[in-house]
Amino acid sequence: MAVQGDVMEAAGPYDRAKALSAFKLGDATFYWITRVSAISVLLILGGIILSLIIGAWPAMREYGFSFLFTQRWAPSADPPVLGALGPIYGTLITSVIAMLIAIPVGIGIAVFLTELCPQWLRRPIGIAVELLAGIPSIIYGMWGFFVLGPFLANTFQPFMIRIFDGVPVLGAIFAGPPSYLSLFNASLILAIMVLPFITAISVDVFKTVPPVLKEAAYGMGCTTWEVVRSVVIPYTRVGVIGGIMLALGRALGETMAVTFIIGNSFRISSSIFAPGTTISAAIASEFAESDGLHQSGLILLGLLLFVLTFFVLAAARLMLMRLEMKAGK
Amino acid sequence: MTELSISTTAAGHVPQAPLPEAAPKVTARNLNFYYGEHHALKNINLTLGTNRVTAFIGPSGCGKSTLLRIFNRMYDLYPGQRAVGQLMLDQTNILDPKLDLNLLRARVGMVFQKPTPFPMTIYENIAFGIRLYEKISKSEMDGRVEKALRGGALWNEVKDKLNASGLSLSGGQQQRLCIARTVAVRPEVILFDEPCSALDPISTAKVEELIQELSEDYTIAIVTHNMQQAARVSDKTAFMYLGELIEFDDTNKIFTSPSDRRTQDYITGRFG
Repeated sequence: MAVQGDVMEAAGPYDRAKALSAFKLGDATFYWITRVSAISVLLILGGIILSLIIGAWPAMREYGFSFLFTQRWAPSADPPVLGALGPIYGTLITSVIAMLIAIPVGIGIAVFLTELCPQWLRRPIGIAVELLAGIPSIIYGMWGFFVLGPFLANTFQPFMIRIFDGVPVLGAIFAGPPSYLSLFNASLILAIMVLPFITAISVDVFKTVPPVLKEAAYGMGCTTWEVVRSVVIPYTRVGVIGGIMLALGRALGETMAVTFIIGNSFRISSSIFAPGTTISAAIASEFAESDGLHQSGLILLGLLLFVLTFFVLAAARLMLMRLEMKAGK
Repeated sequence: MTELSISTTAAGHVPQAPLPEAAPKVTARNLNFYYGEHHALKNINLTLGTNRVTAFIGPSGCGKSTLLRIFNRMYDLYPGQRAVGQLMLDQTNILDPKLDLNLLRARVGMVFQKPTPFPMTIYENIAFGIRLYEKISKSEMDGRVEKALRGGALWNEVKDKLNASGLSLSGGQQQRLCIARTVAVRPEVILFDEPCSALDPISTAKVEELIQELSEDYTIAIVTHNMQQAARVSDKTAFMYLGELIEFDDTNKIFTSPSDRRTQDYITGRFG
């Protein structure tokens, strides 16, 4: 104690223990604030799931698993017939097509920006990509409705039909009467909407690759393509896949733009140029006028979307783990 | 000790008497280098002899690494850097703007200051480079990978875990993996840019031994801050200072009776 006394004397009238206790109080407060914030996420998530289940319960009891496999959606029939196959199909198809387009293009832009682009062009392209992310989804919907839809129906689809006419599977995929509103239109819009997520995150993680690692690959005589494929992307795969998952999550749940241009048809057609619907589009377009079993069915659709997204994220985790196994652990 | 097979003749290779002149492999004539406006290398003239080890020493910022990075045109990756003058690899003009850089870098391999294993398995780290230039069967590839890993004095340590990640190895092992990877492509010249500066003494000794073995088959240039290392591994030593080549001679001569005052000051530790 004598030594401590000396120190306190040297420090003047400053009460160290008291100052420290104030810190301790701050520390405890800080700890509880962060803790409560973290727990509140769990509570909110649990609450949402619970209320979805309660809301969906009447429909679940009425239709059981046949809800998943029924295509017919007739809420005004007596009794109402509700089946989710159409929206599930539409959600999956539009998201898959959107990702097939957005992943190569998005990563391609990122590679160009980080590896190939002359310095002066970097900022304009980078800013354009960021602006793409800032456009409200209703604008995408209108653009898809007034511009992309007519182009697809009048020019693109006839062209594809001419090329693939008579080819067994592809013929059916592109066949059918032209329609401004279609699964493919929605897929394209979704691809444009999620592109910035993939590009922005890929650019960020590509920049974390140590220059000397790239130099080593170039030093082996690799071309830029080989460096990107074998060094940059494997090195950053966790980040890139994270960006893709974020994009996929957005594509699965995007509502406004898709509702505008997908046509809201519950019938499943083999053609991607036919109208369809997605889970979120179906909910958005019908929820306001629904009641009773119909409303419960829509809530059940929402629950399905929740589960679907969860499985997609889980699959992404699994894929990441397998990639890591392949690269050696 | 099968992995030392290429080297049995080279064991204890310490240059004593002046070496006979080797056939020139890389020749620089009035070579200048610029980082934008900054004149980093001034009128460099020197020759790397075939199957000789040439060490580059000098204080930080004297241009040793810059010079090395001209030999495989690594500077080409960065805008604003340019080399002027003449630099020949046998009959090939290295500075030719139309030169196929991938081919040049297959002939002139490089090992870096920090180990740079690629994010893939140990096996793939080696096979990757071979696959860039050759289409060979799986069994042939297995043979080449083993040979390269033996060449890198690493085979005995990794033969049971070829499918582990290259990043799981220790720093010294990673560096030898990088050397093996470079050797696997069968270059003619290997550039070492301070290959031991991130390694512990034991790993350093292994890498140095390896460099001596490799000089049987390859022309080697090594940049080092460690003068004992230069004395141990090299046949010729170049002392550089402020972008100029001050003295270039047999290693023995440089370290026993340098002809330039500045060389003497540097190797005796008076500056640097």
